[in-house]
Amino acid sequence: MSLILTTPISDLDIKKMSVRDIVYISGYIYAGRDSVLPKIVDLIKKKKDIKGVNLVGSVIFHTAVSSAGVGPTSSNKVEIESSFFDLSRAGVKIHLGKGALGDKTVKILKKFNSVYAVVPPISALLSSKILEKKIVAFPEEGMEALHLLKVEKLPIIVAIANGESIYSS
Amino acid sequence: MLKTEKNKNDNLVIEKIKNTLIKASSSFRPDKIKLLKDRVKEEKNGLLKWVLESIIENEKIAKKNKTPLCDDTGIPHILLEVGPNSKFDYRLLENIEKGISKGLEELPGRPMAVRGNDIQRIEQSQGLYHKSSDLKLAPIGIKKMKKDGLKINILMQGGGPEIRATTKRVFHQRKISIIIDEIITLSKDEIKRLGCTPCTLAIGIGRTHYEANSLMLEAMIRGRFNKQNKIEKEITKRLNESNIGPLGLSGGNTVLATFLCVGPQRASGVRIVSLRPCCIIEPRVASCFL
Repeated sequence: MSLILTTPISDLDIKKMSVRDIVYISGYIYAGRDSVLPKIVDLIKKKKDIKGVNLVGSVIFHTAVSSAGVGPTSSNKVEIESSFFDLSRAGVKIHLGKGALGDKTVKILKKFNSVYAVVPPISALLSSKILEKKIVAFPEEGMEALHLLKVEKLPIIVAIANGESIYSS
Repeated sequence: MLKTEKNKNDNLVIEKIKNTLIKASSSFRPDKIKLLKDRVKEEKNGLLKWVLESIIENEKIAKKNKTPLCDDTGIPHILLEVGPNSKFDYRLLENIEKGISKGLEELPGRPMAVRGNDIQRIEQSQGLYHKSSDLKLAPIGIKKMKKDGLKINILMQGGGPEIRATTKRVFHQRKISIIIDEIITLSKDEIKRLGCTPCTLAIGIGRTHYEANSLMLEAMIRGRFNKQNKIEKEITKRLNESNIGPLGLSGGNTVLATFLCVGPQRASGVRIVSLRPCCIIEPRVASCFL
């Protein structure tokens, strides 16, 4: 099945999703990876706001943002996979990256009604889907800073949703 | 050689290296494109077909625009092949470095060189350099070749496959089947966690970890998608039975091919196996002659 969604993503949107669905996302999404996600988690734990950032109903794409484009990095890196609990708790609805995740993460996603989706490594093709980009937090991290992207029909494939995972054997 | 001639020659080398880096980073070799198109034709599942088609479409755009196939443009590695009567010197090595910098600047490469002293670089505590061209070339490998001249092979090595790569000792008990079984066991979980499948498995088997890794890089350079030996075919077939599929979405297209390079072996019960599950974008390799 394919879905077309605009951010922010609602709980109802998530309930409609099943693994292997293609979802086309339009609107604003965040981009962050190894360096910045632990910093955001730290702020969430300290109950501090991040100026100009609203995680409720958000999508976080695990990617660097640079003149070379965007593309998924491995979401099973320690810094990224360990961020799922706090980010989902804070309202992130779609974690977007690549690679198999563990059973513990499947349970976390179910608990907070969030999903994990993957995107093929198609940076040249994705460049036409990125309409705007800007750094919103931790600029010192360069390409790994937290970016806000405006996307149009970004194609993603649901990999973990509602307790089901394409990686379960 | 006159000074102006020397400068002209320098510029020629720099330009060739730059163009080779861009070619490696923005296009697939024809044998890979053909294999991908064949796999699209064979694939019956609509979603998996879409994934493979999008990989082909991505390459078309990158090749046309001479832009990166993947935002992780990788760490440049070079294998320099030297023919009889050919020589290289400090100046050539410097020109190779300049060509690499120019290529990264023009591609553009991802600005991912890490600032600071040893500890700061390891901890990534001082941030990154802003220019793509600040990324340093990995140590250059050198080999003899039969043909006269100098051949520069450029590989762009992405981070995802590096996470999944491994070098391991295997006690072979004088049976190739034990080596193959170990390769299959080591690869399965890593490929699943790689994400960017179908992958190409690059393998080097040698006497030391250094040698096995060098052979693995050579396998990435010399391997052909349309020319697979018996062992390569067996490894590909067995991994395709794992049902990991493109992006982990299941199906038979887990591995496109296996590139194996076997070097001299030690008189011993041990073999050193270097294994790199190259993502769908790799091997990013191109060569030029000087």
